[in-house]
Amino acid sequence: MKTRWRSVVVAVLAVAGVWLFAGSVPPAQAQAEIVLTVENNRFQPEEVKVKAGDPFVLVITNRDKAPEEFESHDLRIEKVIPAGKTVRVKVPALKPGVYRFVGEYHEQTAKGRIVAE
Amino acid sequence: MGATFIVTLREAFEASLILGIIYTYLQKIGARDGYRYVTWGGALGLLASLGMGIGVGYLSGPLLDWGPDVVGVGVIFAAVVLLTWHAWWMRQHAAAIRGQVQHRIDEARAAQSLWIVGLIAFTGVFREGAETVLFLWGIMAQAASTTGWEGLAGGVAGVATAAAIGWAIFHGGRRMSLSKFFSVTTVFIMLLAAGLFSTGIGRRQGMGLLPLGEPLWDSSSLLSDRTVLGSFLTGLVGYRARPSGSEVIGYVAYLITAAGVLWGRRSGRGGREPHTAVSVVGRPD
Repeated sequence: MKTRWRSVVVAVLAVAGVWLFAGSVPPAQAQAEIVLTVENNRFQPEEVKVKAGDPFVLVITNRDKAPEEFESHDLRIEKVIPAGKTVRVKVPALKPGVYRFVGEYHEQTAKGRIVAE
Repeated sequence: MGATFIVTLREAFEASLILGIIYTYLQKIGARDGYRYVTWGGALGLLASLGMGIGVGYLSGPLLDWGPDVVGVGVIFAAVVLLTWHAWWMRQHAAAIRGQVQHRIDEARAAQSLWIVGLIAFTGVFREGAETVLFLWGIMAQAASTTGWEGLAGGVAGVATAAAIGWAIFHGGRRMSLSKFFSVTTVFIMLLAAGLFSTGIGRRQGMGLLPLGEPLWDSSSLLSDRTVLGSFLTGLVGYRARPSGSEVIGYVAYLITAAGVLWGRRSGRGGREPHTAVSVVGRPD
């Protein structure tokens, strides 16, 4: 009985592992790139417009000396951007609407929105 | 100072609750020798957080783009499995103790590999640990130039307050009656795990692996998850102001499944192994 349980657990973990990695690697095909910069604990620009229904890539560069975390509850994205680094964030196709984001480490100043239309 | 205090308090709160509960649990089942597993797990979680916080600065390219995501989501689901496991064990002990068969507890204790509580401590600390490390590091980087010292003091005070809350749970929980402690923490752990599970689903939606539909409801005018209270409820019970359908389904499905595992078919397992046999002895709820 114990071995059956063990094989069930192993199987579940294997499936979970595959699911976890699948899609984590960015796709090769070209997608629209939206450039964001973090500077002085603010996003630049603070509002970006994207086409609804098309996935895109946020290219976020942190020019500050401190790490920042791009966070959007609306998009379910959390992404740390170390000081001086650039991170590419894949964003799935969005329905028309406004999606807010903040820099979690400097929430008072670092905020912006993505407008999908 | 206030802002950084809230951020680190929020990040460290969950870890401190989990540690407080596990220490109390071990004390309750008379397994003080298991403390070291928790302490080691927590310490290793802290080390791993430091390593990840520092390491992420050396990553670049695709590894930086998706590496932390894979680790982050992996830790979330691992934490869900471990917490569920722990709740299940607590149910077993609760049944054994109600049945007044003290020696059964020892058998149960021997059967549960205590290192699992160490793993729980590890994931509890590591889950938000790297973020907290990066946040504090960022404040320090700015401390020299600006009014950052105040922010740093706030950040450290936040972690300290969270630790104090965990300590308070340990002390308060020791006095609580055993059955009350088990039922309160089982429910709490289930809600915590359900919240984590739906967070994991949300993260997969953010990666485009699951469709992100319209929010099922919008209670952000009532209680936004950006407020202090809202963000604490997010960490504790998985509150969302604008949840997606999949997140709500995941949350409810987890609760139903976990409740089935914890409260269902208890007598069906009886007799097979000594430590499950005690559940037959225990009175039904």
